[in-house]
Amino acid sequence: MRMLLTPALTPVLLAGALALPLLAALGRPSSAASAATAAKPPGSDGSSSSGAGLAFPFPVQEKTLPNGLRVYVVGFDSPGLVAYYSVVRTGSRNEVEAGKSGFAHFFEHMMFHGTEKYTLDAYNGVIKQMGADSNAFTSDDLTVYHILAGKKALPKIVEIESDRFQHLTYQQADFQKEARAVLGEYNKNASNPMEKMVETLYDHAFTTHTYKHTTMGFLKDIENMPNEMAYSRQFFDRFYRPENVVLLVVGDADPAEVFKLVEASYGDWKAGAPHPTIPVEPPQKKEQRAELVWPSSTLPMLIEGYHTPGFSTTNVDLPTLDVLAELLFAERAPLYKKLVITEQKVESMSGSNDAHVDPNLFTVFARIKKPGEVGYVEKSIHDEMARIAKDGVDDATLKDVLSHVKYAFAGQLSTADRTAYTASSFIALTGQLESINAYFALYDKVTSADVKRVATAYFQPANRTVVTLKAGK
Amino acid sequence: MRGIIRGNAIILLSMLLFAARAVAASSDKPAPKTTKTPTSVAGIRTVFIPSPQSPLCAIRLVFQIGSVDDPAGKEGVASLTADMLGRGGSKARSYAELLDALYPLAAEIKVYGDKESVVFEGTVHRDNLARFADLLANQVLTPRFADDDFARNKEDALDYLTKTLRGNADEELGKQALATVLYQGHPYGRPTSGTVAGLTAITLDDVKKFYAAHYARSRLVVGVAGGYPAGFAEAFAKRFAALPAKAPPLPKLPPAPVIKDNQLLVVQKDARANAVSIGHALDVTRKDADFYPLTVARSYLGEHRTFNGVLMNHLRGNRGLNYGDYAYIESFIQDGWTTFPLPNIPRRQQQFEIWLRPVPPQNSLFALRAALYETDKLIRDGIPQSGFEATKTFLTNYANLWAQDVSRRLGYAIDAVLTGKDLVKELQARLPKMTKADVDKAVRKHLTLNGLSIAMVADHGQALADKLLSDAPTPITYDTAGTPPEILAEDKIIEKFPVPLNKDAVRVVPVDQMFEQ
Repeated sequence: MRMLLTPALTPVLLAGALALPLLAALGRPSSAASAATAAKPPGSDGSSSSGAGLAFPFPVQEKTLPNGLRVYVVGFDSPGLVAYYSVVRTGSRNEVEAGKSGFAHFFEHMMFHGTEKYTLDAYNGVIKQMGADSNAFTSDDLTVYHILAGKKALPKIVEIESDRFQHLTYQQADFQKEARAVLGEYNKNASNPMEKMVETLYDHAFTTHTYKHTTMGFLKDIENMPNEMAYSRQFFDRFYRPENVVLLVVGDADPAEVFKLVEASYGDWKAGAPHPTIPVEPPQKKEQRAELVWPSSTLPMLIEGYHTPGFSTTNVDLPTLDVLAELLFAERAPLYKKLVITEQKVESMSGSNDAHVDPNLFTVFARIKKPGEVGYVEKSIHDEMARIAKDGVDDATLKDVLSHVKYAFAGQLSTADRTAYTASSFIALTGQLESINAYFALYDKVTSADVKRVATAYFQPANRTVVTLKAGK
Repeated sequence: MRGIIRGNAIILLSMLLFAARAVAASSDKPAPKTTKTPTSVAGIRTVFIPSPQSPLCAIRLVFQIGSVDDPAGKEGVASLTADMLGRGGSKARSYAELLDALYPLAAEIKVYGDKESVVFEGTVHRDNLARFADLLANQVLTPRFADDDFARNKEDALDYLTKTLRGNADEELGKQALATVLYQGHPYGRPTSGTVAGLTAITLDDVKKFYAAHYARSRLVVGVAGGYPAGFAEAFAKRFAALPAKAPPLPKLPPAPVIKDNQLLVVQKDARANAVSIGHALDVTRKDADFYPLTVARSYLGEHRTFNGVLMNHLRGNRGLNYGDYAYIESFIQDGWTTFPLPNIPRRQQQFEIWLRPVPPQNSLFALRAALYETDKLIRDGIPQSGFEATKTFLTNYANLWAQDVSRRLGYAIDAVLTGKDLVKELQARLPKMTKADVDKAVRKHLTLNGLSIAMVADHGQALADKLLSDAPTPITYDTAGTPPEILAEDKIIEKFPVPLNKDAVRVVPVDQMFEQ
C-alpha cells in the first residue's frame, strides 16, 4: 500500500523529521481492549505460516495481557537483530481541546525525559551502550517509539520501555526546554513551503474534526507549549495506558521469551478510562480555496484534497482510491507523461490516498514550472479525473497497477526495522496486524466499474479543497 | 524533490513494465552463499554478495565520476549526464517507455552522486530482477540523449539551484554555502549539480562528449546482492564490457585552500530561524589511522540524529536552542528517512563539519559560540574517560546497523573497494585496542578553531555579521524558566567565547547571487 509509506507529501515533510503528518492512523481505543476477541494473524497459533500469496508473509505470534496490552512477535530473518516498536494509538487526531494542537508530538519528546529509576541521562546511557538506533515519531493517528538493537539487548529494552511508559516523570524546567526544541522542529521545517501548504490545506478542508490541524500543530499553540505542564500530566494519564498501546517485536526474537519479559514488566500497568470523543466532520458543501504567497524564490505549487472515508478492511472504495492515485499520478500515468515529460510544464507531481482512522483526504500535489500555468495544470488534472470517471480502466492497466502495488509493498519489508515500521501503521489504524492481509485481499475486488463509480463520487468540485502557492518576489 | 545528485535528494526515477530479454546465462538456481565471488569480470571491478534467502535483490553501478570532472565553464555536466542516463531514454526506449517498463516491477532507478561518484541503484523483488537489470544496463550502455530529455533535466537542475536551494530548503542552503567558503576556488566549492552559469552553458553535445570521455570500465564498480540466481551477477557485469576499457583517472585535486583566519558568509534571505554550518578542511580519510580515533571524537561530539552527542545535549537538551546539533569528519548525506549516511560517496579530501539546525535569530550567535565552546573543550581537555568508553561501546554495536538491507550491505562492500578500507571491519578491529590518548592525540592534531569557515542563513544578515564583528557578547535569551545555575554560569562564558573575525573575511550575500558562478 504505497500511500502508507510514501504518500505524496510525506517525503518533504519527513526529511529529517520525526513527525509523519500524513502517515497512518489509529483506531478507537476501546476496540483494542478486548483481549479475548482479538483475531489472530497468520501463524498466531504458533504454527509457521507459509505466507504464500500474502502481503505480509511472516510468522506472527500474538498475546494480549489482561490489562489490554497486546504484543505481536514477528519472525524476520535478521540474525542477531531485533526491532522493538511501542505503538501508541494516539496522535494529533486526539488533540480535541482548543489550544492543544501539536501536543501528541510534543509529548512524544517528553517521553525521553526519564523516570526515577532511569533518568534522562541514564536512559540515554543505556541506549548508547546498546549501540541502538532509537527514536520516535508522531502522526495524525499514532505515536511510535522504536529501538533497533542486538537481540541480547531485548531484556533491557523491555525493562526501560516498560519503565518509562508507566513511570515517566519530569520537571518544569525540562518540560519548558523541550517545548523550545519542538519550536526548533517547526523552525527547521519552516523554510519548506510544503509545510505551509499542508497546514493550509487541512485548515481549510476541515471545520470540525481534529484533522484540521497538522501533527506539528498551529504555531500559536507550539509557542504556548511551555505553559502546559499540567495538561501534559493529564495527557500521559489519559493515553499512555496498556489498552491503547501495542508492542511489536520484529526480528530474531523468541516469542515465548518476549511474552515472558513483557508479562513481568508490563503486567501491573493499569488500564485507563475512555477517551474524549473526537468530533465528526460534516460533509463539505462547496469547494474551498486558498492562495499563499511565499516570501522567497520558489516554483509555484498546487495541492488539492478530496474528502475520503476512514480506513476499513471491507470498503472497496479505499483500494479503489489507491488504484486511482496510480492511474492518475504514477509516472506511468498519461497525465504524468503529458505534463512532466511531453509538455514539461510540471517539475513533479503525485497523488495519494492517505489511510487514516477517520475520514481524511485524497491528496494531489504538483510543482509547476511557470506561475502562468498553474490554472492549466489544475484543469488538466480535473479533466483527467473526469476522463477516468467516464472510461474506467482496461484490464491490462489494472493488472499492471496491482502488480506494482504488490511488489512495492514487498519492497518495503526489506529489513526488520522497515517491516515493523510498515506494520505499525496498520496497527494504529485497526489495532490488528492481520488488517494488512485483509486490506490487500480487497485489491482483488477492484473493477473498472469501481474505478468509474469511485472517481465520480469523490472527485467532485464541492468535495475539493485547493491551495496554490506562488513566489512573492 | 526530484533530481539526481542534488544535495541529499536521491530521487526515484520511476516504475514499471514489460520488455526485457533475460540476462544471459542465468538460471533459476539461487547463487550459493559460500561460493567465492569474483572481484573482477571483463576488467571491471565487481562486488557480489549472494544472500539466497532474500526475496530482494540490489544492483549498484558505482562510477568514479563526479563534479570534479566538470570542465571549466561547464559546471554541472557530470551531474546532468547522470540525470540523462537515469532520467532519460535509451536507444531501445524513450523515457516514457522506460517508466512504463519499470512500473509493474515497482522498480525505480535511483541516481545520486557527489564530487567523485555517480551511483545508479535499484532494489527489486527477485521475480523482476532480470527485467530490471536489462532496463538498467540499457540506460547506462545505450543512452538516447534525446533533446526533450535534455531540456527537462537541464531545467530541473537549474530550478534546483535557483528555486529549491535558494527558497525552499535553508538547511541544505547553509551546507552548500559552507562549501563555497571552505573550498573557495576548489572543485568541491560548488554544488554537485553545478552552477547557474555552468548549467546554462551546457549543450547536449557537451553531455555526449562527457559520457564518451568518462563512462569507462576503469571507473566502474558493478555490485549485485541478494537472492539472485547462480550465474546472474557475472552475466550482468559482462554486459558492461561494452564500455570503453579506460578513461583518464579522476583529475588530481588541488590541496584544500589554506584558511588562516576565520571566514563568515551570511546568506541573506527571508528566514524564520538561522541555519548554521561550520567547518574546516581535514587531511584525514578512511585510509588514515587517525580516521578511527577521530570517529570516536566525532560521535562523542555529535553523532548524527541521536541524543548521544555533547552538542545535542548541551545546545538542544540543556538550552532548547533548536532541534538538533551534529558533527562530521567526512561528507555525510542522509540516506532517505534513516539515520545513516548514503554509501558510495567517497572523497579523496574531507572536512570537519558542525551542523546546527535552525536557531531563532536572537540566539543564533550564542548557538554558534556554544558549538565552538564545546569543540574547544574537546580539543583542550580531551575526551572524558567515561565518554570515551561509552562512545567506543556505542560504535562497536551501532556499526552493525549500518548495512541492514541488501542494498546498503552492497554499498558498504563497494566502499571498501573504493577506499581500500572496510569501515565496519576497521572499527571492529581498532576500537578494542584504542585508548583515550589515541583520541586526544588525533583531535589535537587535526581539529582546530583557527581558520574556520562559517555559513549562516539569515534575514537581517548584515546586522548579524556586524554583531559578531563587534566582538560584543551575544547572550542567550530564554523564554523558559528553571535553567539550572550551572548552565546560566556557563552561558556567561559562552556568550563571550571568542570568534575572531576580520571585516574583510565577512561577506553578506543576497541569496539570489548564490551558486551563480
